[in-house]
Amino acid sequence: MKHITKAYGPLVANDDISLTLNKGEILAVVGENGAGKSTLMKILYGLESADSGEILINGEVRRIRSPYDAIACGIGMVQQHFMLFPPFTAAENIVYGHEPKSRTVFFNRREAVKSVKALCTQYGMYIDPDVKVADCPVGLQQRIEILKVLYQGADIIIFDEPSAVLTPQEVTELLKTIKDLKRAGKSIILITHKLSEVMAVADRVMVMRLGNLIKVMQREETSIEEMSFLMVGHTLKTREIQKIQQGRQILSVEHLTLAGTAGKPVIDDVNINVRGGEIVGIAGVSGNGQSELIQCLTGIRKFQSGRIIINGTDVSNCPVQENRDSGCACIPEDRYFWGNAAEATLVENSIMSHYKKTHLMKHGIFNKKNTCTFANDIMAEFDVRYTSDRQAIQELSGGNVQKLIVAREIMQHSPFLIAAEPTRGIDIGAIDFIHGKLLEKREQGDAILLISSELTEIFALSDRIYVMYEGRIAGEFTREEATIDKVGLLMMGGALDG
Amino acid sequence: MNNLYLAAVINTTFRYTTPVLFAALGSLFCTKAAVFNVALEGQLLAASFVAIVANYYTNNVLISLLAGVAAGAFVAWIVAIFQIKWKVRDMVVGTAMNLLVQSVTAFLMQIIYGSRGTVQGFGMVALTKINLSFLKFSPFLYRMFEDLSTIDYLGYIVAVLIFIYFKKTVSGFHHLSVGISGTAADSLGVKSQRIQIRAVVISGILCGFGGVVHAMGNVTVFAENMTSGRGFIAMGAASMAQSHPLVAIGSSLFFGTMLSLSKTLQGYINSYFTEAIPYLCTVLAITVYGVIVTMQKRKPAMKA
Amino acid sequence: MDDFRRKKLIDDVASPMIAILAGLLVGAIVMLLTGTNPLFAYKEMFTKSFFRPYYLAETLVRSAPIMLSGVAAAVAWRAGYINLGMQGQMAVGGLVATVMAIYLPVHSWWGTVLCFAGGMGAAALTALIPTYLDYKFKASLIITTLMLNYAINHITNYFVAYPMRDPAGDGMAQQSVQIARSLRFYRFSNKNAMNTSVFVAIIVVVLLYFVFTKTKFGYESKITGLNKNFAQYGGIRSMRTMFQTMALSGALSGFAACIEIFGVRYRYVNSMFSSTGYAWTGLMAMLIAGYNPLLTLVYSIFLAGLNIGGTALQRNVGVPMQIADIIQCCITLFVSVKILHEYKRMKAFSKGTARGRTS
Repeated sequence: MKHITKAYGPLVANDDISLTLNKGEILAVVGENGAGKSTLMKILYGLESADSGEILINGEVRRIRSPYDAIACGIGMVQQHFMLFPPFTAAENIVYGHEPKSRTVFFNRREAVKSVKALCTQYGMYIDPDVKVADCPVGLQQRIEILKVLYQGADIIIFDEPSAVLTPQEVTELLKTIKDLKRAGKSIILITHKLSEVMAVADRVMVMRLGNLIKVMQREETSIEEMSFLMVGHTLKTREIQKIQQGRQILSVEHLTLAGTAGKPVIDDVNINVRGGEIVGIAGVSGNGQSELIQCLTGIRKFQSGRIIINGTDVSNCPVQENRDSGCACIPEDRYFWGNAAEATLVENSIMSHYKKTHLMKHGIFNKKNTCTFANDIMAEFDVRYTSDRQAIQELSGGNVQKLIVAREIMQHSPFLIAAEPTRGIDIGAIDFIHGKLLEKREQGDAILLISSELTEIFALSDRIYVMYEGRIAGEFTREEATIDKVGLLMMGGALDG
Repeated sequence: MNNLYLAAVINTTFRYTTPVLFAALGSLFCTKAAVFNVALEGQLLAASFVAIVANYYTNNVLISLLAGVAAGAFVAWIVAIFQIKWKVRDMVVGTAMNLLVQSVTAFLMQIIYGSRGTVQGFGMVALTKINLSFLKFSPFLYRMFEDLSTIDYLGYIVAVLIFIYFKKTVSGFHHLSVGISGTAADSLGVKSQRIQIRAVVISGILCGFGGVVHAMGNVTVFAENMTSGRGFIAMGAASMAQSHPLVAIGSSLFFGTMLSLSKTLQGYINSYFTEAIPYLCTVLAITVYGVIVTMQKRKPAMKA
Repeated sequence: MDDFRRKKLIDDVASPMIAILAGLLVGAIVMLLTGTNPLFAYKEMFTKSFFRPYYLAETLVRSAPIMLSGVAAAVAWRAGYINLGMQGQMAVGGLVATVMAIYLPVHSWWGTVLCFAGGMGAAALTALIPTYLDYKFKASLIITTLMLNYAINHITNYFVAYPMRDPAGDGMAQQSVQIARSLRFYRFSNKNAMNTSVFVAIIVVVLLYFVFTKTKFGYESKITGLNKNFAQYGGIRSMRTMFQTMALSGALSGFAACIEIFGVRYRYVNSMFSSTGYAWTGLMAMLIAGYNPLLTLVYSIFLAGLNIGGTALQRNVGVPMQIADIIQCCITLFVSVKILHEYKRMKAFSKGTARGRTS
């Protein structure tokens, strides 16, 4: 790729970037969120078009205007969000787009299964071709995704943040697969911000920051410290968390059980307690009941048995408003699905769950001046960048949206806060800012339940850690006891000896 | 009620079913590609009108049929451009298009025929009828299938073909995949937008057949706004069939029966009430269907 | 910030203006195809809708039920509940109010108020039936509300055809007897239909603007319409909002019907709300207005003018009056594409600064 430039309005996502990939090597592209690595790869894979620059494959200039062109050029991409169709079988997903046909129009499923089996043997990655993707765990889904790329005959394989959704053990497995693919003659681009993975597999490393190419180096010549310095532009100080006096019990969940559709409970006899001045982390691969737990805690979902007590009030199966009145605030896991109304203005988004307070509203009628002041105040306090408070929230960047949501929930000054994936998909500066605010709240003696699939986040903030697996609490650790290995093992459904 | 009378009622039911069936197939064809098409009503009406106009000038069945189908496809194409290409909300496109077709047909009627109300007669031809002479041994069966047109039979064949299309063909497989996730399809080189536009246009063609049968199947006539909600009845039929083409035959037959009852019961009950039957039954049917679905959902949860 | 607001205002005004011009252009093309001089036709259309006192009065009178059914639709649609049943709700409301006016011993202004309350209540209940079916059994509101239009039209027609039919009318007219004089709105002159009900309608619409923008109900229903999950997460009770908005929507439809009956027609006439299409014109007006009641008011008057002008056109030039409906549908479609945004985006593309978020 030569001189690739891509701009979104005033924002330059890629500024004159050139990269080369040799046959049979693993090139790692590292950078913070928003550094432009994903954009670069989307251009290579034809999902976005570059404003200028060209792409050469085996010395020939190729025009890649759609994924279809990319696949024809032998480029495949394992995306961060799997591009799979859950109701279809593994084989159907793998051959998708290049289906074996009989009599030109019919889909020859038998042939598909056969060639998928052959492919599995060839690369030593085994799956059951007839299993529905919806029934596969995430690690297996990724394997299907990789097989699909191989089936398409890709020689260049792009992995976009492949480890983000995996447990530590699955990551080890993945890295082994990547090395195997290299041995089989494939050229690989690995996009990641996890530097330990880079050190484990990469041949060369390319560092990006704010749309610019900072440096390309051989792996042997660099270190994690150097890479992280280049990525961020300054050295990161690790935060020291002081022990503080813990207060009274704020949240207690007793024997919470929520039935699922398939006869297996989604949440199975869960007990959790959180005290004031404490951040309690819940680790786990997403989809193990965390979302449902949040919904039960906030009152969105009704459950069959158990009790939830927040700040001394039994709020089991109470409406959302009562939960909030008892002192529960919540940073939702998905800021777009739960956390805001994209087309509503910043003011309207900021006052949600505040608006019934008397200084904002009297007798069902808003005090316009006060609502605007309130919104502007909390946005200023949390460093949200905006042009007008009448702007629609969808015009803000992900980090700013998240800061607004965090601001809104922390400004409830509630004794209990649920922080679910509080920093998903935002840049390091904003992550650092939000972590600081959460710790500030902890120091004020409030209780925080942190639910995150990002283990580093859990370890950075939590006083105690629960591990959730298949709707159950698989283990509980204090800050001192917890190690990545132990937690990772429980996340996989393993058991600790002794 | 004698047997032959019953056979006649069943015969009417078949006739009333066809337009609903075609429109329901059109609806589910769109739904399977994640498009909610609200403009079926307009597609039906446009086809009915254009078929009659072509019939008026040419007195030729085939030309009328083709003209009607083309009109349905054309309206659908406009819907597709607005809804899929320009991302306008389905409800807005649907309502506006339905009303637009309604007013354009009323407008053209006055331009062409100089009157409002209905167009009929003038030596216009009806669709070719098929009489199954081998059924003559039983007057009941013979009456049941008497004078049905080719298009009436075609409806059931098309339903089966659509079933096979989804189940067996690559193109149908891609169609379903777009309905599950358009972004995934796009990222794998299958152009989801193109498939969606194609789905809407095909729904227009299907509605075209439905509209032509509606105007030229029984009596050859066009009346202002003559589809009177059939497009929406068909949407109900398709959703009750959970977008399964073969089940849609069943649900369409149900609504066909209701439409036929509303005519046959006129001898016994005041016509103002019988006319309301199909509409009330649609409301009732999708409600009952909702009850059944919620009960089914509750069952496994209870077991656990 | 002022600059931002000014830009937004230009956007909000310019987009519909361009759409209206485009709609009129389509109308002109249609007229050209039918062999009419569009300039002459539009002159006729607009003088005989806005620029002559008699026609202006007609236009304003016609706009009253349109703007009310428009805000009725807006109330429901902006909360995400697609009510297509305004027509049926109007028919029920109108019929019930007429029945009360004819058969109850009511008179003077309090009688009118009572009839209005009855009509609005009945219309609200009519809207609540499909709402309940959707809430409880997931029966699509779109289909049920629309189906009820047809059913209600036939059933209400039965009443004016048989039990309530005015025996004095000629054989063809299926209509009820007239309501008492003391119940009617005051007419300023007997030359035209202009009457006080128009002002009542305008006041109600302005009141709704206040409800939409300044009240808890307005806020909660707007957020529910934009993102149901967010609303639920923030503690808004979705069920209550759903029933409140649909009841209000139905009541406003009933109000529209009562305005028409007590202000203009003085009786219930066969198919009076399905043949006039007030509900649909109102729906178009509020779609062009983007759910804003004040703009709905403006566009209702404009669309009412198109309709009145269309009638004159049919009478004097021989162009079928449906031309007005065609133009109105085209405007709605063009507004929905947000022409201005498309244009800006295309310009942005050609400048090379691809896909910048405008406004």
